[in-house]
Amino acid sequence: MPATRSPSTDRVTTPWWRDRVKLGLGSAILWFASVMAIGSVGDLSTPASRMLAIFGAAVALWVSEAIPLSATSIFVILAQILMISDEAVLSLPDGFEAPTYESIYATLASPILMLFLGGFVLADAAAKFGLDRNLAGVMLRPFGTRPRAVLAGLMSITALLSMFVSNTATTAAMMAVVLPVAAGLERTDRFRVALILAVPVAANIGGLGTPVGSPPNAIALGRLDDEGLQVNFITWMAFAVPVALVLLVVAWWLLVRRYPASITSMSLNLGGTFERSRSAIILYVAFALTVIGWMTEPVHGVRSSIVGFAPVVVLLATKVFTVDDLRRLNWHILWLVGGGIALGNGVSSSGLDVWLVSRFAWGSMPTLLLMGAMAGLALLLSTVISNSATANLLAPVGISLALSDAVDLDPLLAGLLIAMACSLAMALPVSTPPNAVAYASGEIETKDMASIGLVVGGLGLAIVVFVMPPIWEAVGLL
Amino acid sequence: MNELVIVVVEDDPDVRAAIVRDLDSFADGIRIDQADTVDDARRAMAEADADGDRVGLILADHRLPGESGVDLLVSINADPELRTIRTVLITGQAGHEDTIRAINEAGLDWYFAKPWDPDELVSVVKQQLTTFVIEAELDLLRFVRVLDGPRLLEQYARHTRPD
Repeated sequence: MPATRSPSTDRVTTPWWRDRVKLGLGSAILWFASVMAIGSVGDLSTPASRMLAIFGAAVALWVSEAIPLSATSIFVILAQILMISDEAVLSLPDGFEAPTYESIYATLASPILMLFLGGFVLADAAAKFGLDRNLAGVMLRPFGTRPRAVLAGLMSITALLSMFVSNTATTAAMMAVVLPVAAGLERTDRFRVALILAVPVAANIGGLGTPVGSPPNAIALGRLDDEGLQVNFITWMAFAVPVALVLLVVAWWLLVRRYPASITSMSLNLGGTFERSRSAIILYVAFALTVIGWMTEPVHGVRSSIVGFAPVVVLLATKVFTVDDLRRLNWHILWLVGGGIALGNGVSSSGLDVWLVSRFAWGSMPTLLLMGAMAGLALLLSTVISNSATANLLAPVGISLALSDAVDLDPLLAGLLIAMACSLAMALPVSTPPNAVAYASGEIETKDMASIGLVVGGLGLAIVVFVMPPIWEAVGLL
Repeated sequence: MNELVIVVVEDDPDVRAAIVRDLDSFADGIRIDQADTVDDARRAMAEADADGDRVGLILADHRLPGESGVDLLVSINADPELRTIRTVLITGQAGHEDTIRAINEAGLDWYFAKPWDPDELVSVVKQQLTTFVIEAELDLLRFVRVLDGPRLLEQYARHTRPD
């Protein structure tokens, strides 16, 4: 008897224009070559034209993901060194103040990345000792057993964790707990959908909350930092936490209304006993002190990136975080953010920002419309491509535009809008990895995700564009 | 990778059908290839490989015409490229010697005596395939639904990509 098999998938050859990789690489190379061939035109200087070539290629590569996102980032760094730095292999016009090649490399170790590194190390170490899970268990207890209260607890804890831990890691860890509970509900109980949607939605929203919550925040902060606009940890939280809270409440209300529970009591099996080994206690102390240090920057004046670097030293020295753990860190995310910061620097040091801003009579556009357009574009783009890549592309241009005299927009506000809008994109399974995780459960449909994602995204956008800026101004944040 | 494949090697058509029926819950997402001899199984594996599919688990009877099930599992364990494949023996007649050989030389992952308990079979296959998917670094999210979801998600939480 020959081996029999169930029907296998049909393999169809895709035409090149449907091939994401070929299309992305093709348009990147075409753009790069054409812009380089045309070179300096009119008021577009030679360095600015080279930066335009790099920028366009980065757009094509980040949007298509033809090469890994972090590869595009280091391409941006290499291309800038070769084309517009003091070590450029192509000659630069006299009078152009070329950035040093060291300064371009240095974006990979910029303060905001060091802050992120601290966040990664703390989060990974916390996961290693089950601190995140145990804290979640403790915090969930007061919420009782009524389904809608448990849902509120689940969402608050997920959001709180994802303010300090990556959104995706938080979602995956919480989903591992939620899945068995959802699977245990009656097939007809729609509450399962609420449980499963609650996790990614809360994680995405929580990511807004702190500078280390999500890469777009870091990208915007890094760009602002380069322009001498420092935003400390607690100030960012003052901007973002109220927005996150409102959105969480709305999301919770939508979920319990749309997917009411038919059971009257439930419990999530979260957390166990806190480890009491020497390593675990060092971690607890380091974690607590770092978070306190971050929140109290205005009191002690030590920058959050420096505060966040201290636990890296302590945890590595005490072997609470081992060299093996260090090797497993998500370095590629740091590189991805670094490329975005480098792109922003290049756009500004090459003079491309001035040229871009002068392309359009921005002054004739009402500021509110401009803000809406900026945030809307970020939301739209990051619904289909990576949030970080969107921030990498839009933050340099948006913040440069705000810095120019052409418009009456606070650069800080521009940075906030872009970063927040990137995190608000959660309408599709592909919008963010947390959504992909929830969708993989097979328990929800795209339309479930789209209906809550569109409401939270749309409402969030309206809040950050129309409602919050006057409030921020009134309380003296802006 | 196109498909994750379980290869069932059993010469008795009724028994084979019973095994495949018990594994019905994996049908949505995992392919089951059936073979009645070791040669046949090797052919199915080569074919899967050529098609870009991944064999994740072999469920073999011991007593087969020609080479035995244990022979097959030993040869798989000796091949560095195939070693990650999870191996399960399901048999009524393996002697002491064969069983020892399966454990020592084939790195056997599980042993079922006939008659097997269908629930236990499903649970073992699920755990073994989950281990395979993690070790082979396949797309974990793709299998959350059909394999051990919580375990895959725990693993995924540790290797995330950018938000």
